[in-house]
This record gives sequence, structure tokens and C-alpha cells, in this order.
Amino acid sequence: MLSTGNDIVSLNAINVTRTKQPNFYSKILTPTETALHQQPCFANIPFEIFVWLLWSIKESAFKYLQRIDVDILFTPVKFEVSEVQIPSKFNLLNFNTAELKGTGFGGLNSIGATIKFGDYILYSNSLIYQEFVATVVNNNEDFGKTHWGIKRIESDDIEIQSVGVRAFLTKNLPDKNIIISKNPQGIPVLLKDDLELSIPISFSHHEYYVAYSFQLPV
Amino acid sequence: MTRQEILNELKKVISPYTTNKEMLAQINEDTDLLKDLKINSANLVDIIIDAEAKYDIEIDYDEADKMMNVGSCIDVISEKIGQKQ
Repeated sequence: MLSTGNDIVSLNAINVTRTKQPNFYSKILTPTETALHQQPCFANIPFEIFVWLLWSIKESAFKYLQRIDVDILFTPVKFEVSEVQIPSKFNLLNFNTAELKGTGFGGLNSIGATIKFGDYILYSNSLIYQEFVATVVNNNEDFGKTHWGIKRIESDDIEIQSVGVRAFLTKNLPDKNIIISKNPQGIPVLLKDDLELSIPISFSHHEYYVAYSFQLPV
Repeated sequence: MTRQEILNELKKVISPYTTNKEMLAQINEDTDLLKDLKINSANLVDIIIDAEAKYDIEIDYDEADKMMNVGSCIDVISEKIGQKQ
């Protein structure tokens, strides 16, 4: 079954002191994952951002799997993140644009990872800027059919976030006669002429940032 | 503590993380933290940590993953308080 999952965390909204406390991060990371941060490749990623990077990966994986099994519960420590690949010249840059969108992550300084949950193996790509961490998850290492977008919005009001991310996706869909709805399980879907399309979508918003992903068939 | 007493305290724990104060005022055991109170999922761990401090209990994430609505939060907190006594 085709699916997609994404997540965005605004780094201006996180509590840095709390994130660094073991009673907080131990609810998100396993001891093995926590130890990953000691590797030299993470030298340019502060620990609090590392924690939220892994949260973002795990949440995206959860959203990916929720479309397949609505009864799955989000237990971050049960989503095992490994093989985190940091680009050799990784630096935290400012998000100097209003929006960014793409198909796949080629040519971008994205961070790849593998996620294991039960029998499922998933793959992620994350972008980290000074302002946010954004992740998209797929069941294949090839993200060539994975479309995504990230946008800064002017308000952190929940309704404006929701309307903003839907308008952003609609603008970037190939067919303008598609509407966004929700299925009975509360998962967002695309409809055309009242029929659900087999193009899974995922939305995320946090503070002043919104993001979407959608997956086209290979 | 009765379930109503836990609910009243839980309201205070949740309050900093929701802008939907109207819904917060009317919460009941069926209220969903994410869908009804529009709490960002990134704040779920904050709520667990604050609840731990408030009730002097420890909630591991195996239990926390059930805390999606107010009733299940009360179940977990009530059970943990019971284990202390």
C-alpha cells in the first residue's frame, strides 16, 4: 500500500533546557540512539536538535504507518532509528526563503536514516535549518516520486496553519480539480470527482512553519 | 484522588499547550488531546513530564502512548497514583 508521512518541528518553539534532560529525551530516544550523537559526524548538530531530528523521523514513520494500520500507537522508543547519514559538509544554515519544495532530495544537504518498527523497514530524509527540522518518510530508499514542500507562514494560529498548508499543497498538485478531504479515520486524502485518489498525502505544522508530502506511484 | 479531581488537575497541566481554551473549559473523558484540543504532538512529552511532576509519578512511554484522550490519561495517572500507595 502506498503511503507517506512527514513532520516539521520549529526549533524556535522547543524548550532547549528541557530537551537536554534525561527524563525528557529518554521518552523519545533509546539508549542506542542516544549514543549515536557521540559520533564525530554529529559534531555540528547540537544534542537538542538531534533529539528533535529523531522525534521528527519517528513521527513521520508513525504517520506513514498509520495510513496502513489505524490502530498503531505512537511510542517513539519503539521506532528504532539507525544508519543516520549526515552529509560530510553539514552546517546549520538559515532558511533564507519563504518556501522550499522538491521531488526527492537529490542535491540537498539532507540527512538520511532507516527506521525499524516491528517488521516494517522505512527510510527517511530530513532537512535541518536553524529554524526547523523537517522529515519525509518512504518505504523505499528512492525518493524520486516523493514530493514535499516547506513554507513559512505569518501566524501560528492553528486554523491558519491548517488552511495554509492545504493551500500550499493545492498550489503544487499537478491537477487543479483535486480537493483535500479526510477519510473516516481522520487521515487526509485527495479526492477527484468524489473518488479518493491513490496519492497519499501528509501534513504537518508547528509554529510558523507548515510542510506537506505526497507520494506518486513508482 | 477521584477521577474528577485528577481531571481538574489535568486541565491545569494541559492548559499551557492548547490555545483552544473554550474546549479546555468543557473537557471530559472523551476529549482527544490532538484532535479536540489541537495540541501539537511535539508537546505530548511535555504533558507527560508535567504530569509526572504534578503527581510525583513516573510514566514510561509504553503507558504514555495510550494517553491520547483525557479518559486514558486519567486511567494511567490513577493507576500510577495507586501503585505509590
